Amino acid sequence: MGVKIAPQMSLLDKLKILADAAKYDVSCSSSGSSRKNDGTGLGNTVAAGLCHSFGADGRCISLLKILFTNECIYDCRYCINRKSNDVPRASFTPDEVCELTMEFYRRNYIEGLFLSSGILYSPNYTMELICETVHKLRTLHRFQGYIHVKAIPGADPLLIQRAGYLADRMSVNLEMATAEGLKEMAPNKHRKTILKPMRQIQNGIIENKNEITLYKHAPHFCEAGQSTQMVIGALPESDYQIMSVAESLYDKFSLKRVYYSAFVNINEDKQLPAVTAGPPLLREHRLYQADWLLRFYGFKVEELLTKERPNFNMAIDPKADWAVHHLEVFPVEINRAEYRLLLRIPGIGVKSARRIIAARRFGNLTFEDLKKMGVVLKRALYFITCNGRMMYPTRIEEDYIVRNLIYQNQMGRGEKLPFLMDGTPYRQLSLFDEGQMLGDDRYRNIS
Amino acid sequence: MGCAAVFGEGLSVTSVENIYMEEKYIICEDSLEGIFTAVYDAYALREGHEHLHVQVGEEGNYRLFATYLHSKADSVKTDKVIRTLKERLGEHVFGSICRAAASDGVDKGDAVYHTIVDGITGGHGGRTMENLRNPYVNRAFELARRTANEAHYELEFIRFQELKQGILYAKIGPKNQVMPFIMPHFADRLAPEDFMIHDEHRGLFGVHPAHGEWYLVSGVNQEAERLQDVIQYSDKEEQYQELFTLFHETIAIRERNNRRLQRQMLPLRFQDYMVEFLRNDESAAARNRQIRH
Repeated sequence: MGVKIAPQMSLLDKLKILADAAKYDVSCSSSGSSRKNDGTGLGNTVAAGLCHSFGADGRCISLLKILFTNECIYDCRYCINRKSNDVPRASFTPDEVCELTMEFYRRNYIEGLFLSSGILYSPNYTMELICETVHKLRTLHRFQGYIHVKAIPGADPLLIQRAGYLADRMSVNLEMATAEGLKEMAPNKHRKTILKPMRQIQNGIIENKNEITLYKHAPHFCEAGQSTQMVIGALPESDYQIMSVAESLYDKFSLKRVYYSAFVNINEDKQLPAVTAGPPLLREHRLYQADWLLRFYGFKVEELLTKERPNFNMAIDPKADWAVHHLEVFPVEINRAEYRLLLRIPGIGVKSARRIIAARRFGNLTFEDLKKMGVVLKRALYFITCNGRMMYPTRIEEDYIVRNLIYQNQMGRGEKLPFLMDGTPYRQLSLFDEGQMLGDDRYRNIS
Repeated sequence: MGCAAVFGEGLSVTSVENIYMEEKYIICEDSLEGIFTAVYDAYALREGHEHLHVQVGEEGNYRLFATYLHSKADSVKTDKVIRTLKERLGEHVFGSICRAAASDGVDKGDAVYHTIVDGITGGHGGRTMENLRNPYVNRAFELARRTANEAHYELEFIRFQELKQGILYAKIGPKNQVMPFIMPHFADRLAPEDFMIHDEHRGLFGVHPAHGEWYLVSGVNQEAERLQDVIQYSDKEEQYQELFTLFHETIAIRERNNRRLQRQMLPLRFQDYMVEFLRNDESAAARNRQIRH
């Protein structure tokens, strides 16, 4: 059994095919790993991650994101590389991937490599190719930059373990939020085979942490943790279902990130919804906002959504939505409230909350001070007092506040959505949004 | 205008108005050394800090009823200030102060000076930068962040090109003086490489010999201009630029096209230095270039 490689194909042609095939994978982050150069080769990693460029779609380009091959034995409905599609196929050789990575990295084009793959012959065969490539990069080329590889579901646990010791981050894509959805969309994939390597990586990371505590120089296993992604809007799942799955992935599988990918019907599959109006970007945006609330703001899914109210309000962001439904908590006194409570105020983010806590040791803060610290007062003013006074006389009343928040945005004074563009169906709705508070961060690398 | 008289320890005074001497401005050179020397001189006056100001640059906007003193950058005074800052305020605050001093804010001298005063007289130590109620600290904090943000951008967006000799060469045009803050990163990351970063606004070079210590070279603007003409790229350089430009184009999802977001995340002034935008005719940077020529 030999590798199917078209020798006559140039590196340029291969890169075009295999980058194009990889572009729907959302994860680009290069964060979570911090490593100095050891003097034997090229590269290091930065904890916060770096975005080296931004594509025409405004998404960050941090890693050389490619498939090893777009040959695939599976036939997933949503995937451009499915077996039944007639698309040009190509495969890299391990040396070609190494060359591209090293030369791009030297020029500061990229932060490292993101290597995924279609399933060539079998999961094991594919996983071995991935391992071989990354092994070469780490040992022969002494590459010390960031590497993110996919764990191929169904591959031998030993291969996955081997990859984990070479990579900074691994990911297994959940693809669909529900097991039934997955069955419908990807007849060759099973929820169980996806969760198995996910659990293995989780356990690997925990064991590795213990090893490193004992032996300082023990090799690192997936130092930057693992992530996954779900396709949004291909099936009629509710936001509540999706967020509940995300929450349990964070809690039970200790994932670093869950990515949400607005569905694009590239295959024009008749069984899938036609998204003529473009991918559901506003919904994706709301999910990311909620994801941030789970990870950094101490929210639980149950607080944001319920079975009775299973979808996010498209007119205002999840945090403002929570606030107007919990007016009994407000107004909050800025000079006294604890950190967790500050975080619940619309218009105050993690950074401004920290600054408030630090600055108020020196004396009472005024509205003017808050403004300078980056608090978005036009959103926060309905929910806060400084030294016992509100900024303006306002009513603390749901309808009144919602009307005002929306009115500001209509007047163009509110923050804008990151994807306002011609032809989106959300042009109108986008006027009702905030952005700075949480929104744009997700396009960068923080995790 | 005015006459210069020798004043105090190496200070000379240009008197503008002698009737009311309410405010005093110490004018200094736009460099870390210049600002720190001015801070030293300000303390040496022993007149209290309330009416004292440090102003970077030339004698620009003269004010009525103000006295202008000129301070000359001095390495001994600078070292003393640095030592005091590290001791009294800690490395962390010292870093912030350096970044503020490296920013492009015209009022940075005063912000830095009064932040130091607030930190030392208030005994705030490592918490000095947290006193955001103080307008000077607030301003210094903001300026420091400006430099830090731009330095971070440069870490991401610098593009090296390989020269014939195998040296990596990158050109940047930052608003703030970011070179000292980005060199350590690249010196670590590209340890086995000979590389050189060229700040074309300041005629400043950051140089790193393979496996060696990095250093700065300045005041070579004319040579730098000649350099542009003699630069020759390696044979492979063109090929990798083409490969990356193609990758950059291909990786975007057409259905999500969003140039506005792209510009927001990656401002045009950086795109002007990046191969993937310069080579791509559709990009705004390339269009900009055409308009300018």
